[in-house]
Amino acid sequence: MVLRGIREYSQLALVSSYLRRTFELWGYGEVVLPTIEPYDETVRKGTKFAYNNGFYLIKPDVTSRLLRNYDIDFGKLYYISEVLDGGVEGNWQAGVEFIGGEPTFMTAEVLSVLITALESLGIDEFYIDLGSLEVWRRATEGIEDFRETIYRALERRNFGLIDGLPIDREKKEELWRLFNFRGRKTDYDKLAQILELVDDERVFVDLGTVRPLPYYRDVIFEVYSPEFGRPIGGGGEYSFRGRPAVGFALDLRTLVQLANVEGKKSRRSLRGIGSFREARKLVSMGIPVEVRR
Amino acid sequence: MRFVLPKGRLLRDSLEILRRAGYKIDEPGERRLIQRFNGHEVLLARAFDVPVYVEHGVDVGITGSDVVEERGSDVFVPLDLPFGKCRLSLAMPRESVTPPEDMDGYRIATKYERITRNYFSSLGVEVEVIKLSGSVELAPKVGIADAIVDIVETGTTLRANGLVEVDKVMDVSAQLLVNRISQKTKFDEINSLVLAIKEVVKDGA
Repeated sequence: MVLRGIREYSQLALVSSYLRRTFELWGYGEVVLPTIEPYDETVRKGTKFAYNNGFYLIKPDVTSRLLRNYDIDFGKLYYISEVLDGGVEGNWQAGVEFIGGEPTFMTAEVLSVLITALESLGIDEFYIDLGSLEVWRRATEGIEDFRETIYRALERRNFGLIDGLPIDREKKEELWRLFNFRGRKTDYDKLAQILELVDDERVFVDLGTVRPLPYYRDVIFEVYSPEFGRPIGGGGEYSFRGRPAVGFALDLRTLVQLANVEGKKSRRSLRGIGSFREARKLVSMGIPVEVRR
Repeated sequence: MRFVLPKGRLLRDSLEILRRAGYKIDEPGERRLIQRFNGHEVLLARAFDVPVYVEHGVDVGITGSDVVEERGSDVFVPLDLPFGKCRLSLAMPRESVTPPEDMDGYRIATKYERITRNYFSSLGVEVEVIKLSGSVELAPKVGIADAIVDIVETGTTLRANGLVEVDKVMDVSAQLLVNRISQKTKFDEINSLVLAIKEVVKDGA
């Protein structure tokens, strides 16, 4: 048995409190879900167990749970939760979902929420790369039979897979250009509009390194810091029971490593007779206190 | 750039292909695990750990596709390399050969727990997987497993232990791995490395 300090978890909580504040400022409301979910094929991740002849999941992916269980026509939600994936210890995630608006507008808003959330943690050095499934769908029109291979090539970033396909040279060159495209100018209006609305020099279009995950509809994005070897988080546009929605999830443990926040605030120190009465008054006015013996 | 290369049988070919691509790295000393050359840094790790290093921030690595699959690491795999070729196979004692579809309830010993589970679940067959770290072919001999999933190069080891191949699980070769963030932040450097190695591979073919 390994005994661990509480430090790891108090840091997770501290980072969460900053994120909560930012999400609330943007008008997003927190949801908390039960620990256990009845097993369902549409719910991703979670650790499976059997109980009384039924199958259940502990702490599965939150977005797929919301989709499975709730009918939301318009909403701005966020959650902070551990997410298990078959094991006993999981990742801690903070996620935001904007459901039922216009996709380009929602994406711009959600990216702004993301930017301010990172900034609230003292993280200024990061990039957000936008990709698009629609761009690849259009580029592969007429060669639908090879789409699967092309998506696989994107996933691994292995252009050799595309090079080996029996398609003409011109097409291959077009795909190669998309594969290596990273910049702030794009022919795809939707991405151009998002860049314009968000108006932040840390947001780029990158068509070749953002993974085309199956549950997204079009625009997808990934946020990362050059200081850190793994993505901080990502998200995109998906379909919430037929309605457009945009969401993202951040990895809290990564945020803990990158964050630069101070846990302590200056607080009024009180001592002696009457200090608890005085402290109650200060707290009710929102002033931090510490009563000493 | 930081490279991570596998100790053991893939090391020589890995150094050779990098040298031919213009990245001259000396054969590392016996016990030195990190060394520098021309502003690059090279780490040596166990082949099984290479994908983990790359996933967590080392820019580039080389290891076998069996390991990449088993680790399931979130890394880019831009190139297959023309060495380290072998196969991962299901094998069992000659006298008890059974088709994999009929292996329900069998015990399978392997170093490749994840690949083995995926292989059998794609067949809809439920087996018990016993994870071992090496000398897997012993397991059926002493009766703790009915079959094994392991690397086969020539088949000599299998034959020496009275085992025969029942099915090929996957073809294996060395692969080039790239960290997902490095691909963005060191885009030009990584692309020229990938293209240079690609040329070497093409010339060799």
